[in-house]
Amino acid sequence: MPKPDFGFSFAPNRALELSVPLLPEVQAVLEAEPSIRACMACGQCAAVCTAGVFTPLAFYRLVLQLWAGEVEVVGQRAQHCMLCGKCQMTCPRGVNIRNALLLMAALLPPKP
Amino acid sequence: MEKSAWFVWPFMLGFMFALAVLLLRYLWWLRSLLRRPSSRLLSRMFSKHSLLAVREIFSEGLLHLRIYKRNRRLGFMHMSLALGWFMMIVGGKFETWFHSGQFLHGTWYAVFFRYFEPQTVGGWAGTFWLHYMDFGLLLVLTGLALAIVKRIRKKVLGIHSTTRHTLVNRVALTFLWMIFPLRLVAEALTFGQHGGGGFLTGALGRCCFTSGTLAGLELPFWWAYSLSLGAFFVVLPFSRYLHIPTEMVLILLRHWGLQAAEDLQPEKALQAFEIHACSSCGLCLDVCPAIKDHPFQSAYFLRALRSGKGWESLASTCLSCGACEEACPINLGLEKLRMAARGKIHEKHHAVYSYLPTVGPVETSKVDVLLFTGCMGRLKPATTKALKDLFEEAGLSWVHLDEQESICCGRPLALAGRASEASALREHNRSLIKGQQARMLVTTCPICLKQFRDDYRLELPVYHHSEVLWSCLSSGSLKREKGTACFSYHDPCELGRKSTCYQAPRELLQSCGTLLSLEREQADALCCGNSLGSLSLSLSERQALTSRTLKVLEVPGAQSIVTSCPLCQHNLARQSSLPVKDLAEVLAVTGLPEQQGQRKAALAAVQEL
Repeated sequence: MPKPDFGFSFAPNRALELSVPLLPEVQAVLEAEPSIRACMACGQCAAVCTAGVFTPLAFYRLVLQLWAGEVEVVGQRAQHCMLCGKCQMTCPRGVNIRNALLLMAALLPPKP
Repeated sequence: MEKSAWFVWPFMLGFMFALAVLLLRYLWWLRSLLRRPSSRLLSRMFSKHSLLAVREIFSEGLLHLRIYKRNRRLGFMHMSLALGWFMMIVGGKFETWFHSGQFLHGTWYAVFFRYFEPQTVGGWAGTFWLHYMDFGLLLVLTGLALAIVKRIRKKVLGIHSTTRHTLVNRVALTFLWMIFPLRLVAEALTFGQHGGGGFLTGALGRCCFTSGTLAGLELPFWWAYSLSLGAFFVVLPFSRYLHIPTEMVLILLRHWGLQAAEDLQPEKALQAFEIHACSSCGLCLDVCPAIKDHPFQSAYFLRALRSGKGWESLASTCLSCGACEEACPINLGLEKLRMAARGKIHEKHHAVYSYLPTVGPVETSKVDVLLFTGCMGRLKPATTKALKDLFEEAGLSWVHLDEQESICCGRPLALAGRASEASALREHNRSLIKGQQARMLVTTCPICLKQFRDDYRLELPVYHHSEVLWSCLSSGSLKREKGTACFSYHDPCELGRKSTCYQAPRELLQSCGTLLSLEREQADALCCGNSLGSLSLSLSERQALTSRTLKVLEVPGAQSIVTSCPLCQHNLARQSSLPVKDLAEVLAVTGLPEQQGQRKAALAAVQEL
C-alpha cells in the first residue's frame, strides 16, 4: 500500500539520550578540544561561514550531531572547512572552532 | 706516562666518548646527504660561502654579537664564556708547540700543560703565553660569575625570565661551572709550590699556596679538574651543550645552501641541526607575549622536540606571532619548524574542496588595483568602504575580486600545518586574478598579504593597503592635513614581523595626526591575542593576552588605537576602552581639508548659539 501523502513528514526522534555513553571517537574529539562543550548552537558561526554557502557545513549543527553520535556526517562535512576563522571571531562562547573542525575531520573520517 | 699523571684519564675518556657520540649523531643526521650529495651543496662548499660561514661562526658562536646588540650584559656573559674558552684552547695549542717544538701532542698535554711544565720559561714569548692563558681564564671566570648572578638575580642582567632546565642540563651546568674554578686552584697550587705563573694563577699561588703543607693538595685538585671536565664531556651530547658544536655545523650547512624540510623530521638533515643548535639561552622567553601564561616558548618547544615528548601541545598552543624567531640569536627557522610540527599532528586531516565555484573567463578591463579583502575583510565592511572611498579620491580605479563570496587565501591552513591542502584554494584565487589587467593587487588583510607574496607567485606586485595609501599621499594624489588627533598604533604580527612593513602605517598616521611612541612596538610589538596561529589557546588565555597588549596601547593622551589588520582590530575592540580603527577608516574621515572646514563652521555655529 503506498504511503499516504499528508503534505508533511515525521522525522525520527532526535532527542539526546544522555544515559547512553558517548562514542569513543566523540570522546576523543571532546578531550582534544574541550571548548566544544561551550557551544550553545546560536548559529553565528554558520552565518559567517563561506564554506556553508556552498555545502551543508554549519559548525553548530556539527556539534549537535556530534552529541547525537552521527560521526559519519560530522567527519564528512568538517572536511569542507577552509579554516579561515571567521566563525571563531564571531563566536560568543570562545569555542576553538578551527581546532575542533580539524579534529573532527581527522578523527571521524567518513568511510570510503 | 708516570703514575701520578693518571689523572688525565677521566678527561680523555670523557672527551673521546663525546667525540664518538657526536660523530655518530652527525653522520646519522646527514645520512641522506651522504648518500645523495646535492650538486649545489658541493659547489658552494669550495666557494666564498665557506669563508662567510667561518665569519658567522666567529661573530655568533664566539662573540655572540646578536645577543650583545639586544642586551649588552647578557651578550658579554655569553661572549666571555665562549671566547675565553676558545682563547684557552688555541693558546694551549700554541703554548705546547712553542715549548716543545712539536705541533702534535696528546689532547691531554695542552689541557694539563701547567702540571707537566710548571716552570715555563722562554723569554718574553713564554711570559706572553702565561699571561695570555691567564687572561683567557679570567674572561671565562668573569662570564661564570655573571652566569651565577643571572641564576640568582636575573634582573641584574636585564632579563625577566630564564629557562627552567631539566635534570640532565642542571647536571651538565654544575660540571661546567666547576671546571674553571678548579683549574684556577689547581694551577695556582702548582705555581705556589714550584714558582712561576701569570698575573692571575701565579699571583694567587704566591699569596695563598706557597706553604709546604699544601703540596699534598696539588694532585687532588688536578684530579678534580680532570673529573669535572670528563663528566661534562660525557653529558654534553645529551644536554643543551650539544649546541656548542652543532651551531657551528648548522651555520656551515646553511651557508652551503641547505634548507630545512617542510615536514617534521627531528633526526634528519638541517632540521636536526636546527633543533639541536638551540642553546636554551632564553632570549625567546622575554619577548613572548604569553610568557606569563604558557611554557610554549621556542626554547621549551625545541627541548620537547629533542626529547620527542610533549611537543604537540606546545606547537598547537603557540600564537605564531614570530617574536621568538625575531629574537633568536642564531636565526633558527622557528615558525617553519612549528608549522612542520603542526602538520605532523594533523597529518590525518583531509580536506575536500571540490565544492569551490569555477571561475569563468574574466572580463578584462584595465584597472589600477585588484582589491582582495579576504575572509576577515568581510567582517569589517567599514574598512573596505573607507578604502574604496580613498581609492576614488586618489583617482585609482579598482575591481573588488572577492566581493561576492571570498575564498580563503590558504594561509590559515598553512598556519595549521596543512599547507599542502591549501593548493585548491590558491588555485581558485589565482583563477580570479588571472586575465585581469591591473597594476597591483591590494589586500586589507596582512594574512592574505603574506600568503599572496610568498606562495602565489603572481605576475603583479602585491601590496597592503597601507603601502598603497602611503604612496598616494607621497605622490600627492591624496591630500591630508595634520589634525590634532593622537593615535597609538598596533603592529599586527603578520604585517610587521612577518612582512617587515613598519614604516608606511606610521607615515600615514603622522601625516594626519600625532603618533604616540609605545613601550613595545615594531619588531617588539605584542600579539593582539587572536592570531590564527594558535589552534588551542582558550578564550580566557586569549583575553589575558589582549588586555596585556591593550595596556601597552592605551598610553596617556591616546584618543584612538589604530591598526591595519581586521583580526587585530576586531579583537582589540572587544576589550578596549578606546575606539579601535583601521588605518583606512582613520584616513577616510580625519584630516580631510574640507571636512575640517565643515567642522570649524559647525563649531562656530554652536558657539554662536
